[in-house]
Amino acid sequence: MKRSITLLVITAVLLSAGAAAVSAQEGIGFNGYVRNYTGVLLDNSDYTSDFSAIENTFDLKADYSGDISDLHAEGYVYSDADDDLTAGVRELYFDIYFDNMDLRVGKQQIIWGKADGVFITDVVSPKDLSRFVLPDFDEIRLGVTSVKADYYLGDFTLEGVWVPVFTPNVIPSGNSLWAVSMDLPSTVDPSIVKFTTDLPDTVLENSEGFGKISYMGSAFDFELMGGYMFDDAPAGHVSVFNPPTSVKIIKEYQRMFMGGGSFSTEVAGFVFRGEGAYYNGKVFNLGPDYLQADLLSGGDGTIEKDYIHYMAGLDYVIAGVNVSTQFIQEYILDYEDKISNDEFNSTMTFLAARKFMNDTLELKFFGYYGLNNSDALVRLSAGYDIADGLNLVIGSDIFIGDEGYFGQYDANDMVYAKVKYSF
Amino acid sequence: MKKNSIAVLTAGLLLLTVFAAGAQTMTGLDVMNNVYNRPKGPDITSELTMTLTNSRGSTRVRTIRQFVKEYGADEKKIMFFTAPADVKNTSFMDWSYGAPGKEDDMWIYLPALKKVKRISSENKSDYFMGSDFTYDDLGERKPDKDTHRIIGEEKVNGSDCYVVESVPKDPDYIYSRTVSWIVKGSWIGAKKEFYDEDGELLKTLTINESDKVNGYWVVLDMEMENVQKDHKTRLQLKNVKIGEGIKDSFFTERQMKKGVR
Repeated sequence: MKRSITLLVITAVLLSAGAAAVSAQEGIGFNGYVRNYTGVLLDNSDYTSDFSAIENTFDLKADYSGDISDLHAEGYVYSDADDDLTAGVRELYFDIYFDNMDLRVGKQQIIWGKADGVFITDVVSPKDLSRFVLPDFDEIRLGVTSVKADYYLGDFTLEGVWVPVFTPNVIPSGNSLWAVSMDLPSTVDPSIVKFTTDLPDTVLENSEGFGKISYMGSAFDFELMGGYMFDDAPAGHVSVFNPPTSVKIIKEYQRMFMGGGSFSTEVAGFVFRGEGAYYNGKVFNLGPDYLQADLLSGGDGTIEKDYIHYMAGLDYVIAGVNVSTQFIQEYILDYEDKISNDEFNSTMTFLAARKFMNDTLELKFFGYYGLNNSDALVRLSAGYDIADGLNLVIGSDIFIGDEGYFGQYDANDMVYAKVKYSF
Repeated sequence: MKKNSIAVLTAGLLLLTVFAAGAQTMTGLDVMNNVYNRPKGPDITSELTMTLTNSRGSTRVRTIRQFVKEYGADEKKIMFFTAPADVKNTSFMDWSYGAPGKEDDMWIYLPALKKVKRISSENKSDYFMGSDFTYDDLGERKPDKDTHRIIGEEKVNGSDCYVVESVPKDPDYIYSRTVSWIVKGSWIGAKKEFYDEDGELLKTLTINESDKVNGYWVVLDMEMENVQKDHKTRLQLKNVKIGEGIKDSFFTERQMKKGVR
């Protein structure tokens, strides 16, 4: 740990010094942050460590502005509790600006939709869910190497995206606090299950294509979008099922169409938001009680169904508190009881945030509540600006329930502190 | 000759009478309408520096590049935050309308979220970037939102001013009343006091410097002090340019995301 922190600090200092030297040249700008994030589990009886996280991150962004083009690069160096250093590129792209069109080429995060904290039409950039949905959203979203063209026509924008190589979501590793177990018959010992991942071949026909038309005006904003893509989350296809000796599951990514839209408008100080998407041909896993019968009839434990995901949200300010609430529902069309997911899955989110002391102190509450399983994630935090660019956040993430998307992590309740220096 | 003198005297008396009548009929609403409708130029760009000083004397500095364009009674404004580092590349856009009752449209672009988000115009009562100015204080509050009356006339820094008391029609507004010193003729503010919900003095705004840029009056240096919290914000404008011809396409989502070079 000591070695990795030292290395991180040296790297940060060298990169900062380099950045400062280079930034002396006209047109190049550098900014970024150094952050420590330490989380402590409230109950470690299920784990060998008291810590849910010990992370040190150095993030550096570089921008160069030319006459008709910009370059942007963002990289990070990260050390974790296992004394491992990870370095990566979050984004690396260039922009070319024309009178009515912009072209962005390279690794980039592309964000769609009006929902907060949930992904409905936001399907272009995959997600890093290795730490569930707890990191900041710019760290959850992964850049994809792509070509994006935006054409501007008055208040309308037409956007086209070509992603030549598919990038899936990052899912938690098996030994992670956030590992997700597949719903298998109780007769199957999880230790004998072998997973393999089958990514689409990197051939031209496996490209993804997306299109969007958006409007921003006085009365309302809206987006209409569609995509021919791969599902960023895999489904588990059973290839071998011989318990108790052998069970093999192949994680595959389904090719599908998505069409959707979103809007936001303000009425009497209330901002109304809505977003919905129709997914054609999403693959779902079957429940454990139906798996054997499906395999005997030549199936692989999966079924393809169309699926709708939508959200209605409301934002307002009351007594200086910014309040936001969302109702989100997922609906599997032509539902069959053998599907492991519920036909309807409903979630609500609540946000209340207020700043004090001339914005140096922010108290925030954010909660997800799953209506199907009465489970929840409650996030409370207090952030204080010690000085310009130096911020301390102390908070807690509490999981409530025994099952469901949030309840499955009931043992992961934690308190944490984050210290971040932005430059 | 006598006839001519009488004619001049009569004309002079007539003019004085008209002027006096005009002065007598000047109301608080007239004064604030004159302030609101004061010619500001077709567009204005400027660099803002906000220096926040707390009761212990420590300071924080925010810098912003601001672009404003007039569309008759309507106005479009876009702000790009350039410092401190943790808010750099954030942008804020406000379309305000002269039509009574039509609320502003406001959007914010947060680079971490990488999307432009419509926000409630109720945020106009919020303090701007931790300063002592609310969004409303920085913008042009529509005169029809308050009831105005002239409560006196005073000299401030050698300028003759109307003293106008304004009481919000909305009883839940953050101020119970404000008192403005408005310079006669130029219709620019000289100072202002803000009173809290209990009627106690909350803030004082002092104008340190105003000047004409391209023939239009602009406040270049002002300071808002929260007397209850002993916290103050100095707001200085530099590189002010008026009538440079900002394109309509500047006040768009594209520009909010792209930022300013």
